[in-house]
Formats: sequence, C-alpha cells, structure tokens
Amino acid sequence: MLLAFGNFTADPSVNLQLLIGGLALGAIYAVVALGFVLVYKSTDVLNLAHGEFLMLGAYFALTFLISENLNFFLGVFVLLLVMLAFGLLVHYGIMRRMVGQGFFAIVLITLGIATIIRALLLIFYGPTERARLDLLPQGSFEIGGATVRYVDIIIFGVVAACVLLFFVFFKYTRLGLHMRAVADDIEAAAAMGIDPDKVYAMTWAAAMVMAGVGGLLFGHVTGAIDRSIEAIGLRAFPAAVVGGLTSLGGSIVGGLVVGVIEQFANGHLGTKWREPVAFSVMFVVLLVRPTGLWGRKDLERV
Amino acid sequence: MNANGLDLRIEGLTVIYGGVTALDAVSITVPSGGFVTVLGANGAGKTTLVRSITGLLYLHKGRVRRGSIVLGGESILGKKSPDIVSAGVAQVPEGRKLFPNLTVKENLLCGAASRSDISGIDESLEQNLELFPQLRPLLSQTAGLLSGGEQQMVAVGRALMSQPSLLICDELSLGLAPKIVHRLFELLTEINESRGTSILVIEQNASLALQHAADAYVLELGRVLIEGTADELRGNPMVQELYLGGGGEAHTSYAAIERPGHSRPLEHGQRPPAAES
Repeated sequence: MLLAFGNFTADPSVNLQLLIGGLALGAIYAVVALGFVLVYKSTDVLNLAHGEFLMLGAYFALTFLISENLNFFLGVFVLLLVMLAFGLLVHYGIMRRMVGQGFFAIVLITLGIATIIRALLLIFYGPTERARLDLLPQGSFEIGGATVRYVDIIIFGVVAACVLLFFVFFKYTRLGLHMRAVADDIEAAAAMGIDPDKVYAMTWAAAMVMAGVGGLLFGHVTGAIDRSIEAIGLRAFPAAVVGGLTSLGGSIVGGLVVGVIEQFANGHLGTKWREPVAFSVMFVVLLVRPTGLWGRKDLERV
Repeated sequence: MNANGLDLRIEGLTVIYGGVTALDAVSITVPSGGFVTVLGANGAGKTTLVRSITGLLYLHKGRVRRGSIVLGGESILGKKSPDIVSAGVAQVPEGRKLFPNLTVKENLLCGAASRSDISGIDESLEQNLELFPQLRPLLSQTAGLLSGGEQQMVAVGRALMSQPSLLICDELSLGLAPKIVHRLFELLTEINESRGTSILVIEQNASLALQHAADAYVLELGRVLIEGTADELRGNPMVQELYLGGGGEAHTSYAAIERPGHSRPLEHGQRPPAAES
C-alpha cells in the first residue's frame, strides 16, 4: 500500500544523496539527543525544554555572530560561554529547588522553562523570522552523482568532534567520573564526598553548551530562524528513545539512524511521511525493547 | 601517614522522618582510635544513625530534632556530606552500594573525591591493592559483575581511599559467606591497630562484631538499650539469648521481653518507622 504513495527509485545516486543528507540531519539529532540524555541520565529529569535550549542557541548565534559581527571563533566562544551561564542559571535558579520533588512535578517545571524561553525570545527578538545563518562555507561538490553541501560535511565533523570530546571528558577527567558516579547512585556518590549539587549544575551547563552547538549548526540548515525551530527537540526525541534514554552512545546511533530513515522517507514517500515514519520507528523499538537499543534496566533498584 | 583517629560523640540524638521518630535520644561514643559496634535487629534505627552521622538524612526526608554529633571536638551536625567526608568520616554503606557501571578502579577513585593531592591518591590506591590483592586483576572490571565478597572489598577499599579518621561500616556481613566476613573483620582490626583509625561497625552479626570491637551498644526501636564493653555484652544473658544464639524461647524483639528497670518500656508490637531500607 505504501508504495502507492511513494516514488521509489533504485537510482544509487539519489539514495547516496539521501544517505548523506540523512547523516547530516542525524548528526544534529544526535547532538540534541545527547544533551537530552545527559540530563536524563545524570539528574533523572525528563527535560522537555531541550528544544527551546537549542532555539536559544540559534538566536544567540544571530546576536553574537550576525548583529555584533564578532570574529567567528570569538563569537562561538562567547555563544557557548553564555549558554554555559544559562545552564548554571537553570540549575541554581530553578532545578535545585526541585530536588526531591516528584518526577512529573519536575517535568512540568521544564515545560514552564520552555514557555519562559519562548516568551523571552518573542520579547527580545520580536515575531519576525530571520534568515538562516550563513557563516559556514556555502558551496557544494559532486560525488557519485550526489551533491554534497560543505555545510553537511562540517556539521558531521563538528558533531563527531563534540562526541569525541564528550567521551574523553567522561572517561578521563575527575569531574566526568564524578558525574558518572552520581548517575549510577546519587546516595553512594554523596557518601563518598561527591557533591551532587555541583554535578547537577555542571550537567545542566554541559547540556546547554551542547544545545548551543546544536543551535549554531541547525541554524545553518533550517529554512529560517523563528520560534518554531524548537520543534527539533520533539523531532530528536525518537533518536533519544531509540538509543535508550540512558545511553550516551545510544543517542548518537539513534540520532543517525532516525536522521537517515527520515531522509529516505522524505525522498521516497514525500515530506509528510518524515515524522510518521520516525515516530513509527520509535514505537517499534519501544515495543520490542522497552529500554531502547542500548538503555539499561534499573536493576539496582531492588 | 594516616591521620590519627578522631573521636565521635553523639549525644541525645533524636531523628524523625515526617512525624515518626526513628532515633530517640541516642548517645554513642567512639573514642579516638576505638573500635565500637552498634548491634540491633532490622528497624532498630541503625541505618538512620549512619545517615545522621554522614549527612545523608536529607535524601530520605529525615531531620535531626535534638542532640549533637561532634567529631574530634567539632560539630558535624547539619554539615553537607562532602564536608563531613573532608572532616574525616568515610563509610561502607549497607548493601555496599558500589557504582555498578563503573570499573573497580573508578569505584576506588570515587572514594578519593574529597582529596586534591593527586599523587597521594595513587599511593592510597596502591595501599588498597596491597590490602586486597584479589582486586588487582579486577581493576578494569565493571563493579556490578563482581561477586558479593569482591564487591564488599571494593566498598571497604573505596571508603579507605579518603584516608578516614573514622570508618563506619553498615552491615558489612550482610549476604556474605562467613569466611569472607571473618577476613573483612580481621582487616578492620588490622586497620584500627596499625593506622589508629577509629571504627564504628553497625551489625546484625553480633558474635563476630563482639569478638573484634572493644565497646558495644544495642539499639532497639530507636533507643540505646544496653551499652558496655564487648566482654560485658557477651556475658549479658539478654544479648546471649537474642543475638548470640543462646537457648530459650525465640524472641523476635526486645520489645517482647520484660525489662525490669527500663524507664520507658515500649508496647509490644510498636514498630519504628519503615523509613529504613
């Protein structure tokens, strides 16, 4: 039946094109899912404001890189610094007071944060949409009959570098170790003299910085920058769930898988099939493996 | 190399969870370099006592209502857990509570979270591996996959990584083979004697704890029921009957026994709060 809606083609160059586009889109999903999973894993908060965090990053990129016209690298540095400060603000201003409250009370608080961010962006940036960012090289080149945009390659490279940095941080630094310890068992971590409060603050800061990177990248490929781009948070959700909400590595793979599937659905079935197909993948994964592909069961909660 | 043991003085400690009293005017002293055990059945308030000393009550919505906790002359009541660890208190939590997804080495390193002397941390790690040679080949193993005995060794080693002045062990013997438990208690005695570390052992296994400790307390329904030297408690008929497997009828609780001279007998069947896990 599905075939009746689509225009399937066996042309390898078209499929290569879709694959490359899918990987670039998936890389952005991965970066969004990574920030989402980081917060969930280490603070047990399902952060529904993550799409807004990313939107905040895209708007700040407009301010620092376009309006203020800072040198690109300085501008990115300032952007990420401001995002980090906002992450600390979210923890010390709001989330810290919610420790010990019920799961859904905290989820609702994140919805509140999302609403506040949307409102503030409307107040300070106005309702007009802005052109997408064009700071990264714009051209493209051909390979095997497929057109590859430089932007897509750069996005993929930047995300790969971020992911690598992330893993090095978690594996080899003391703070990374303490963050993993808190994620494993907060009480045991506190008993060892690790301050969960500091770890949570760093978690929110790291998630915001990841959202800053995501916003900067997504700002280059979205149609225009307006207050609807927060939907990326919802669209990256299947990526996080497919990977398993507790697995950082899983969120990367989940992001890439969902991105590629979406692009193929887009190319072969039409744009309106993108999201139904992505969410169907999420449903199927949840039905077969409720913890996602790499998520862990909470065995230790006996 | 290690700091000398600090003394711990708990006086009139009353702890509540919500409206329910878990500890009622408990006074316990661990002398500097001493080895003290607190005995008691499930729900006696033992774990609440550990949480109170280590600043973890807040995670269980518990609150100290009265009393004082003083370590080496300085009050640690109301301090945050990282500050209490820095002050010299380390614990082996009930049920070990390792970080299951971290390796053995990472678990041990987490025990040194309060320290900033990087070279000293490596030294402590090496010291631990001399104490528990079995752990050396397991350093890069995921802790959740170890046997119970190995996990308990990691838990003790992890606590020692902070070079504590006072080491608290909560239910060290729970679920472990007697041979391993014996070995662990011997190690505690060794650490106590060679390093002068003060030791507080919370136990259900009374016979073993009384062999190694100098002083002992029996906690029952949130109150100190009996206190004295370990020898005195071993000779106490009530302790013999209930904790050392003596003859006579089986009693599940001290509350079921007539206690002449005890000022505030609890009614039979009255239980302390279920807040302990």
